[in-house]
Amino acid sequence: MDQKHASSPLAGAVHDLATEVVLALRSGDHLATVCGAAGIDEENRTGIAAVRVIGADLLLPSVLYGRHPHPGDVAVLDRAVREFPPKPDAPAATAWSHWHMISTLQRMAPPAPGATAPGTYAEPDAAWLEEAPWQAFTHQLSVLAPLAVPAAPSAVQRAAANRAVDLSRGFVRAVRRRDWLQAAGAGRWLAATGGEPATLGLDRGLDFVELMGGHDPRVTLHVRAARLMAEARAR
Amino acid sequence: MSSGIQQIHDVGAKALGWLYEHREGFRLEADPSPDAGMLDRFKPLGELALIGKVIFREGVAGSQQSSLAHKLLDHAWHELLDSGARLLEGQRREPLSPVPLEVYVPFRELGYRQPDLESAIRLNHRLASWAALEVLPVRRLGLSAIERRFGVEPSVPETAALAHTWLARRPEPWTVEGHIGYDITHTVFHLTDWGEKPAGLPADIAEYLALWLPVWLDDWLDLKRWDLLGELLVVDACLPEPTLDPAAWAGFAQAQEPDGAMPVVGGMPEGNEESVFDLVYHPTLVAAFASALAMSRALSDLSASPAPA
Repeated sequence: MDQKHASSPLAGAVHDLATEVVLALRSGDHLATVCGAAGIDEENRTGIAAVRVIGADLLLPSVLYGRHPHPGDVAVLDRAVREFPPKPDAPAATAWSHWHMISTLQRMAPPAPGATAPGTYAEPDAAWLEEAPWQAFTHQLSVLAPLAVPAAPSAVQRAAANRAVDLSRGFVRAVRRRDWLQAAGAGRWLAATGGEPATLGLDRGLDFVELMGGHDPRVTLHVRAARLMAEARAR
Repeated sequence: MSSGIQQIHDVGAKALGWLYEHREGFRLEADPSPDAGMLDRFKPLGELALIGKVIFREGVAGSQQSSLAHKLLDHAWHELLDSGARLLEGQRREPLSPVPLEVYVPFRELGYRQPDLESAIRLNHRLASWAALEVLPVRRLGLSAIERRFGVEPSVPETAALAHTWLARRPEPWTVEGHIGYDITHTVFHLTDWGEKPAGLPADIAEYLALWLPVWLDDWLDLKRWDLLGELLVVDACLPEPTLDPAAWAGFAQAQEPDGAMPVVGGMPEGNEESVFDLVYHPTLVAAFASALAMSRALSDLSASPAPA
């Protein structure tokens, strides 16, 4: 495990996983497993917790390139869903992330006949998002950036599409504050849903965020995802 | 603490009260440092005149404030500028400097006159060197506007001068930092004759500002940079639909000292009376300015909206 940039074993595992997702996004191929390359299997407790942090982005290369995910990655994501269900009083963002992992698994890797699905989980409420000031709205959306993928409708995605100007303002705010992870997440949403004002300069903005904050693979992951979605939208 | 329109009013009333109390601080130093241009010392008076005139004219500030602003301008013209003689003296020392013109115009618009200075200005205006003077684009725009206000043809047409400014290009809003912030605010000041004519703001620039000004207000509020925040609040009041941003105004009001002084950044500086004045007169002037314009817009919007049934 590469812990040069990590302050804890969990942070190291998250770093490694994000790095492998970025490599898979760059290569356009998905031959090896993300988890396998990061040295994580179903028995690795820290690794499973790290998958809970990365969330459904574990399968992002398959989602964006339209390929079948590797069974090993599906198994680890399935394990993370089962082992870390949100507590009843969990923050809304945690519930949304959990819901999205389950729906991604169902969409990308339906359980084989006879196998047990990870269970159903009702789509959480998003009314609080619609009412949040643009600063808090962008911050929450950025935490939920894994939900910014094509063909995965959700109340969060609808809120993002309805508040493109607010999200754009949040992107500017995050860049000004040098919060590259938040900026990358907000930029990813804008690339997914569109509608940002032309004067935002989103494409240069994403390049700038990667240049300044790309030492964190989670930033690069969002920027790469944004570029792939923007290219797909342009086609 | 008050809130809403009352809060905006109180910020201005307190700031103007402080400026009047401390009017002796607006002084022309007897022996300025040799490396500072002699006319640099006139800059505070120029700002006082431009802003004081707007406060004096915006009757909404209340008759008390209008009268204070007038007394301040009277003091500046007669006591500090010796009824314009000091401007003429400065012009004789640095014949090509545009500073005397910039300081003079707002006074002239209020009826104060110095005929000999006007002759010098008119001669300057005929010089190729005057139009060729190398200044920053935002300053060039300001010179063109002030020439128009003086009643001569701008050496560089205002639209051409505007085209070279940062704001006219409407660049990526996330690249804005402090210096660009002041370039933005001053471009707006020149386009609107310091808030007197909000309609002077071209539609594309107004739209750009309406999109991104809320972020910059949020940012400079968070940084507690009151001087720039105040100027951005002026810009807000120049927009077709001012937001009168409640969070920014509340933070701005909280930063103001009980005696009305507004610090530049963070809290009040320490030092003797003169050095403190030199540091805080500008943000305090800006506070009075932002308040007067915001009040004017708030009240004109009230009177423009249909009466409740």
